[in-house]
Amino acid sequence: MRFLNKGSILLIVILVFSFTTLIMGAEEEVNLYTNRHYDTDKLLLDKFEEKTNIKVNVLKGGSDELIEKIDREGEDTSADLLITADAGRLHRAKNKGLLQQVENDTLFNNVPENLRDTENYWFGLTVRGRVIVYSKDRVDPSELSTYGDLTDDKWENRILVRSSSNIYNQSLLASFIEIHGEEWATEWAAGVVDNMARKPQGNDRAQATAIASGVGDIAIMNTYYLGKMLNSSNPEEVKVAKQLEIFFPSQETTGTHINVSGIGLTKHTKNKENAIKLMEYLSSVEAQEMFAKANYEYPVNPNVEPSNLLSSWGEFKPQSINLSKLGEYNKKAYMIFNRVGWK
Amino acid sequence: MFKKIGFTNKWSVISFFLIILILMPSVFILIGFFNPISDTWLHIRRYLLKDYIYNSVILVFFTGLFSIIIGVSLAWFVNAYDFKYSNFFKWGLILPLAVPPYIGSYTYVGLLNYTGVIQTFLRNNFELVLNQSYFNIMSLSGAIFIYTIFLYPYVFLITHAFLQKQSASLVEVSKTLGKSPISIFFRIILPISRGAYVAGTTLVVLEVLNDYGVVKYFGISTFSTSIFQTWFSLGDINSAIRLSVYLMAFVIIVLFLEKLSRGGKQYSYSNTKIKPLKAKKLTGWKNWSMFIYAFTVLSLGFIIPVLQLIYWSIISYGKILNMNIIQTVLNSIGVSLVGSFIILVAAVIIANTVRIKKNILTKNYARIAVLGYSIPGAVIAVGVMIFFLKMDNFIQLISGQNNMLLLSSSIFMLIFAYLIRFLAIGYNSVESGFNKIGTDFHEASRTLGNGITKTFFKVDLPMMKPALMSGFLLVSIEILKELPLTLILRPFNFNTLATRAFEYANDEMIHESAILSLILIFISVILVYSLTYIKKKGR
Repeated sequence: MRFLNKGSILLIVILVFSFTTLIMGAEEEVNLYTNRHYDTDKLLLDKFEEKTNIKVNVLKGGSDELIEKIDREGEDTSADLLITADAGRLHRAKNKGLLQQVENDTLFNNVPENLRDTENYWFGLTVRGRVIVYSKDRVDPSELSTYGDLTDDKWENRILVRSSSNIYNQSLLASFIEIHGEEWATEWAAGVVDNMARKPQGNDRAQATAIASGVGDIAIMNTYYLGKMLNSSNPEEVKVAKQLEIFFPSQETTGTHINVSGIGLTKHTKNKENAIKLMEYLSSVEAQEMFAKANYEYPVNPNVEPSNLLSSWGEFKPQSINLSKLGEYNKKAYMIFNRVGWK
Repeated sequence: MFKKIGFTNKWSVISFFLIILILMPSVFILIGFFNPISDTWLHIRRYLLKDYIYNSVILVFFTGLFSIIIGVSLAWFVNAYDFKYSNFFKWGLILPLAVPPYIGSYTYVGLLNYTGVIQTFLRNNFELVLNQSYFNIMSLSGAIFIYTIFLYPYVFLITHAFLQKQSASLVEVSKTLGKSPISIFFRIILPISRGAYVAGTTLVVLEVLNDYGVVKYFGISTFSTSIFQTWFSLGDINSAIRLSVYLMAFVIIVLFLEKLSRGGKQYSYSNTKIKPLKAKKLTGWKNWSMFIYAFTVLSLGFIIPVLQLIYWSIISYGKILNMNIIQTVLNSIGVSLVGSFIILVAAVIIANTVRIKKNILTKNYARIAVLGYSIPGAVIAVGVMIFFLKMDNFIQLISGQNNMLLLSSSIFMLIFAYLIRFLAIGYNSVESGFNKIGTDFHEASRTLGNGITKTFFKVDLPMMKPALMSGFLLVSIEILKELPLTLILRPFNFNTLATRAFEYANDEMIHESAILSLILIFISVILVYSLTYIKKKGR
């Protein structure tokens, strides 16, 4: 028992200490709820602190949990800013009345119109595409054309894609509901299920690996995962990534599906000025390069060049829909997946 | 009037308020159950519910079964036989408990998949490319393997502790009567240790039902993934609550079956001198086969995953910037020790009241105490959040200070959530401790004129130390590994090893998460070892 007493007393002291530092707080601060977990983000925020003397407090978590938390905290919320890795989620926060409009010329200049909310409730910060990745050996790129073509019989038993519980798939299907209507989207999802090489399992990287191991020939996945694999610390993963090539679908037609991670100002913020300063900073030329690079994504700021790797994949035409639609049709998309049996 | 509901002493008063406190968040949640049925619910019932039930039942049944087979057999072997390193295995076989199943699953997938060590080795040295389905662990049976190999120690731990104390005289009598070892195992050991392994298996089953990480990664829909999905993807918290109620009903059935199988049987001893069983020395092939069995289990559940994590840590070491490891480690140790201490204190207070005051009210305490374990982390999180925000509103009202969240932005909210979630584990250990010592000594002390409190500290507590310590250990490890609650309820700038390891893994940076997972496992191992050390010293 002595072991227990000594240890717990010491730890109670530690806890009380950390508690007091928590409630004391700094003078100038801004509280950020985010679901990005990259180490470089921390370096970026440190830079912001240094420049402005505004302390940035960070709470990380899943975007849904964070939205729920802001919702429950109501008027008293300690959150000033919310960052999520999906436009649909930002839209949900807006719909729940958790965000407020920001009319700010710096942000308007830094973030193109289609990458922010129609009413300026949120702003994109980085862009990724959901593309087709194919085996260099077994697929001739001339076989590939549009997303719709994936339901063709020639892809039977060849398509790899993760489960429908994943937000990226939901947003992809939501974009089709907006562009082609619900019926088309349902047929598309059913057609892809028919052509799947296996039941959906694992994450995006697992789909890429499954191409290399011959389970299937093409995979639907986000651009940045290939970037991560090419820079993996596991040499075998690098080898796998080198057998694969990116194809941007629907270039002649509706464009490739894109999504953003973005930021919104909470309705009940207590540090509005500081929060907007941080928004401006994150969209600035100085921050954008590092912010996007951390996750092999495309910067939103048109004055910042994408990294060399991303440039080497070439330019592409994105879907032209406003990204708010991804959130609007999220639930419909999820229900379609269930109906057609996309696990 | 107060006497009627059992307020006859300090213990029952404190217990009563503890129970009310623990119930509050569930009440806030259950209110949602009475909301009208939505279209979403009809959609779930039509397309999804069958899968949830099927998968959950299969996972629970087979994981439970295999955990009993592995846990009980090993517990018996290390007690009854002296084989190669059997003394080490007595505590070594608990080690898989130090590995959170979700880290275990990432590790096994990484090990077995196309870019993993095994296939890479075969491919690069022998140009051997095997059918991928041989290596596919991301299935229902794969999940059963992962759960069994990382959770069987619950069964092993409790059964081992029981056999160590209780089996000697019975086994020796049977031996003198000429019973064979096999007959002793099936006719004596299995029946008498039933309470112990059923208690262990219950913990395993509840862990499986609540686990989110493994099934989500493997793409298997169970109740726990569906609750998150309904809540988040469909934005329908009421249907999520409806599913949670289904899950809770499922758990209550499991707990009921446990009570039923324990029946009225209680094996407690009236003498305090507990004689350990004398282990039989094994030689030859018997010695080796027993060693190989124990070693294989330990390798699968601990050695292999840890080696894989060490390898990943080495290759990714340079990539991790800004680790700030020390703070993270202190946070992890801090919350788990303080949390488990509070949980054990609460468990002792409630269990002691239940033991002494047997009435309708206290009978239900035990059920309420273990209820939290059946509610998925995310649902508890919401309940606790609502509860704390209400209390904060109340504080604002009294203090007249607006816009301040005193309690809900503090670490207390998280620790309170741990209390609800893990009280069951602490309570089970404490209860089994009380059961083991029986009530004879307690009653003797009371007859001599000592009060309940004095009797507890002078008589009950000293005899219960091992049970309390094992409860403390189990809860600490659980909190150390806990994810959903910590993710949602932690205060600003507060990271633990589990949350950081998960964040990396969730971003598909499994190599980068390895070093944090390793430290987490290392701390758990220290907890496991210090328990056995204290136990040995105490004897």
